[in-house]
Amino acid sequence: MSIIRPFRADDLFKFNNINLDIWTETYGLGFYFNYLSRWPDMCSTAQHPNGRLMGYVIGKAEGSSHDFHGHVTALTVAPEYRRLSLARTLMNFLETVSDEVYGGLFVDLYVRCTNAIAIDLYEGLGYSVYRRVREYYGSLGLGPGGKDEEDAFDMRKPLVRPNGRDMIVSAHDVS
Amino acid sequence: MSTLALERQIRPIYDSLDSGSHKSALLACNKLLKKHPKNDHLKALKALALTRAQKFEEAIALCEEVLATKPTDDGAINALMHALRHLGRFADLVKLFEDAFKQQPDNDELGRQAFFANVRAGNWKAAQLLANKLNKQFHNDRYIFWGIMCTVLQANDPMTTAEMREILLKLAHRLITTSWKPAEVHADRLYLFVTILQQLGLYKDARELLNTESGRFHCARNLSCDYLRRDIMRAGDWQREEAETAEQRILSKRDRNWLEFVSILDATFLPSALPNETTCESNSSSPSSFLQRVEKTRDLFTKVAEEDGSHERAAWLGLMELERRCGVHGIVSEPSRLLDLLKRYFRIFGDKAACFEDLRPYTDLGSDVLADWLAFLEGITHSPPSNTALSRFINAHKLLRHGLSVAQLTPDQEEIRAADLVRGYFEALPLEKDLPNLELQPADDLAVLAGQVYANAFTLDNAAAHLHKAIVVLEYASKKSPQSYQIHLELVRIYRLLGAPQLALDHYRLLNVKQIQNDTLSYLILSRSTNFSLAATGDLTYASECLESSHIYFSNSQETSEFIVKAFSMEKYSQISELVVFEERLDNSLQRDLVKIEHVRLRISHEPITPELVDMELIELKFIFDRLHHDNRDLEVLPNYQPRGQLSFLSQTTLFGREPATGWLSAFLKIYIKTLSEASDLDPSVEDDKLLIGDRPRQCCSPDASIPLMERLTIQTTEELSELTENELALFHYVNDLTDWLDPFHNFLRPQGESPKQAPKNGQSSNDGVPSDGNGKKLEDAPPITEPPDSILSYFKNAHAKFTGAVEGRRPFYEILHIATLTQEALLLFFICTKRFKDASIVRINKLGVLAQHIKSLRSSAADVVGQIGAQLINISELEGTADKRRQFIEHCEALQTHTEITHEYVLEVGKRLTESQRKVLEGVGRGIERIRKTPM
Ligand SMILES: CC(C)(COP(=O)(O)OP(=O)(O)OC[C@H]1O[C@@H](n2cnc3c(N)ncnc32)[C@H](O)[C@@H]1OP(=O)(O)O)[C@@H](O)C(=O)NCCC(=O)NCCS
Repeated sequence: MSIIRPFRADDLFKFNNINLDIWTETYGLGFYFNYLSRWPDMCSTAQHPNGRLMGYVIGKAEGSSHDFHGHVTALTVAPEYRRLSLARTLMNFLETVSDEVYGGLFVDLYVRCTNAIAIDLYEGLGYSVYRRVREYYGSLGLGPGGKDEEDAFDMRKPLVRPNGRDMIVSAHDVS
Repeated sequence: MSTLALERQIRPIYDSLDSGSHKSALLACNKLLKKHPKNDHLKALKALALTRAQKFEEAIALCEEVLATKPTDDGAINALMHALRHLGRFADLVKLFEDAFKQQPDNDELGRQAFFANVRAGNWKAAQLLANKLNKQFHNDRYIFWGIMCTVLQANDPMTTAEMREILLKLAHRLITTSWKPAEVHADRLYLFVTILQQLGLYKDARELLNTESGRFHCARNLSCDYLRRDIMRAGDWQREEAETAEQRILSKRDRNWLEFVSILDATFLPSALPNETTCESNSSSPSSFLQRVEKTRDLFTKVAEEDGSHERAAWLGLMELERRCGVHGIVSEPSRLLDLLKRYFRIFGDKAACFEDLRPYTDLGSDVLADWLAFLEGITHSPPSNTALSRFINAHKLLRHGLSVAQLTPDQEEIRAADLVRGYFEALPLEKDLPNLELQPADDLAVLAGQVYANAFTLDNAAAHLHKAIVVLEYASKKSPQSYQIHLELVRIYRLLGAPQLALDHYRLLNVKQIQNDTLSYLILSRSTNFSLAATGDLTYASECLESSHIYFSNSQETSEFIVKAFSMEKYSQISELVVFEERLDNSLQRDLVKIEHVRLRISHEPITPELVDMELIELKFIFDRLHHDNRDLEVLPNYQPRGQLSFLSQTTLFGREPATGWLSAFLKIYIKTLSEASDLDPSVEDDKLLIGDRPRQCCSPDASIPLMERLTIQTTEELSELTENELALFHYVNDLTDWLDPFHNFLRPQGESPKQAPKNGQSSNDGVPSDGNGKKLEDAPPITEPPDSILSYFKNAHAKFTGAVEGRRPFYEILHIATLTQEALLLFFICTKRFKDASIVRINKLGVLAQHIKSLRSSAADVVGQIGAQLINISELEGTADKRRQFIEHCEALQTHTEITHEYVLEVGKRLTESQRKVLEGVGRGIERIRKTPM
């Protein structure tokens, strides 16, 4: 039982129990607000009925017309709320929006090659490795694995698109 | 030279700026300006370079110069924009773009920039007018919606009156209705429309709009719209209908959002649906139909729960929530029903870490079934050992602890419980060997729990031995699971309580707190940091921690408004108000100013008190004083496992039992503003803007802003006084008495025409119309010299007595340090407040010799007392960090050494670090006091 609701700017005041976990990075304000000011419909928070935040997903829609797709930028669940299918629910949400709102052809994401749990999760959800990106996390500083360079998998999942569905997003929304 | 050639020469300046070499950019600007002294673009670039080089005064002057020429050149405008943004001069930005747009009214881009400049500055009214103008000129729907959004923002501005709000909302309503084109609706425009209707209370219209085809489309796909829809349905009293929608979503879409379950529960327990026992009004439903509804909801949830089994928690929790609400409304239900649900839930989800939190609200059981429940939990063991068994065992422990009664909470019993938990921890550790390195160890929770049990025992009897055990266990666990933030957090709190600030800071730093977390978490370590600071000896650890944690406020004022602009240009109306509120909350953060005042307190203990320091701090503190603060501190970050009805772990580990809040802040602001304004020569009417780099902070409507500041400083509120410790309160009164005594003499000596005091209400100001001798000094006689109030000297004497009492009474170190550091502060404030009377020639000319004599003798008595405190601190520090203390520590932790993992050497190591850290702070504060006492002013 979790509340699934929009990610809001003021969640930044309360996401510590999620972000103090070593796998989750806390970025500058601009990072979150860039997403909220462009793709607020691709960002969602899960909240416990007692008010504590449980996890969130932040994503965007990008690409040119032949490869327009949804992208998962951050997915994280606080340690105390793991294995409750929250990641599954949040990913589902993002796939639906990528498909039905943005008309994306697929959803993709990057994951550290060492993050076995996340890779398992994504594979279970129908994602497969599209390519390996060398030193993707290198520029982001030291990973929790302690190595300063790390490779990432670019994983993708195709979205099944029945013919004739309208896209409802105008071009300037996705620029 | 041709423009082209000049452009070629300008380009490298941009490169230098981009690469951060402000110096070479500046040199290049100066060189080119010699040839083109009137070139705006060059001047603007120079202003930008100066800004980046932090030469603000020069930069501002140059910006103003360029601004006055009303530049239209793209390059100049752009460079100036960057400089002004960096300086926080949003009002100037508005002027820049509005002027430029006026000169080029066909330039759509400049018009937009002028609009954005107003948005950055929060000028909603001006922005709205501009948006209308843009629409008239360039015919773009977007501009209409910008104008509507600005109207809503203006309506909701705290400065807007209730009547004006209504008018503005109606205007927004009219505008959006006339420009509404249902066929082209996108989610955020719909969102804006519905919020306007909502704020006007037009729920029917809102519902209608949401029920249109596009309305339904967006609610199904856009969480913000759907969330708003729920609000409308609740506000309009359409819960029944909403429950039907929820039921459909649960059954046919397999939606398990808890909000759907809440909708159904709300409809079941609608006030109008409740049977009314006292009156027999016809409109309240009959008891039987109400019970039927409860039954129906129970059936629905049961069906879903059985289907979902262990896949989903929602329906199970829905069933328990149903029972809880029945209880609240006095509906007698089968008592065993809730108990059965609890047990079933535990059987299914007992291995999830969230189980305890999920069940906690439902464990307030009647005595008839409580024993059954507790027996059930006690039967949960940790064998055969496995990770799931361990998780169950932990959840059972948390639930059992939650239900403990006051009678069961003696220090001895808590010790036994803690020992059990520690044993459980060590037994569980071998399980963790197979876990991936970075996963959390489930057993960690046992250590975290044990830490809280020890802290509770300490609360009960004040024996440090409990805390010693806690740190031995937690330090061990933190080595095993360095990534567990909960363990570090507990250690931070316990080390502070033990008076070991360096160790607390070490663990705090391991949390890697950054960005916005500084605002929400720094209180854990920085609240009352003066208590532990060694700044007086030159150790600036805490002072720099204060500065570092404050960067986020600068980022906020630099960045957030850019994204408000972005949200406008992307038409994400659902985000704009939230970003505006966020910016405001962070800008006016309580923690920001608590840290600010701590930093001032630390600063005066290690920096010479120059007139610049006095003036700068005074101006800043006065701004802070008029802020309406928001408390953004995250007080929930640490899970609490203390029994129901007891203080939380966080409160138990808060120094003096209470976190400083707005009352504390306001009291300390008064202390410092009073003292600094005595010392300062600034004139209140001109001081502020002159020294301010950015814009004046936006004024909020504070109720008493009409009363002059100096008068407001004399008002004492109960909120303030209740947040101060006894010793802080004494300091507060001391400063009042000291400044009251010296105020007439400061006023007399302060250079003419620059008195920071308001004229007394009866108009008989001592320096009104007094002729001056041309050197700013008055020719009239000095006010009659008065004896210093006794309270000043007795403040120091009392402090000394309390200090000795605390030492002899073996009070915790943080309390002893509290008295010492506050007394030191009192002496420093005395220095600041009397500095003006140190100048022998001024004293002589003005015949203030007797006053100077009073001050001198007070000063030497006060310094004596403070010096004795310092010496005593050094004395007691010599008893810490000794072999004796280490032996004591080891004795306290003897029982823990039955675990093979906890070796004698290990305990010795932890004890050594603790006592050493305690010794260091006692000695350091003592030495700092020595130094301050001896400083010639
Ligand atoms: C990865 C993460 C988001 C998973 O969140 P979650 O809410 O616990 O995941 P779910 O409960 O939805 O799990 C879905 C499935 O993923 C798999 N899975 C998730 N966690 C697993 C674990 N610790 N071990 C094995 N499988 C796991 C399981 O197949 C699971 O299905 P099941 O529970 O029915 O067996 C969470 O562990 C996390 O926040 N990690 C840190 C941040 C991170 O790594 N993010 C991904 C970066 S790209």
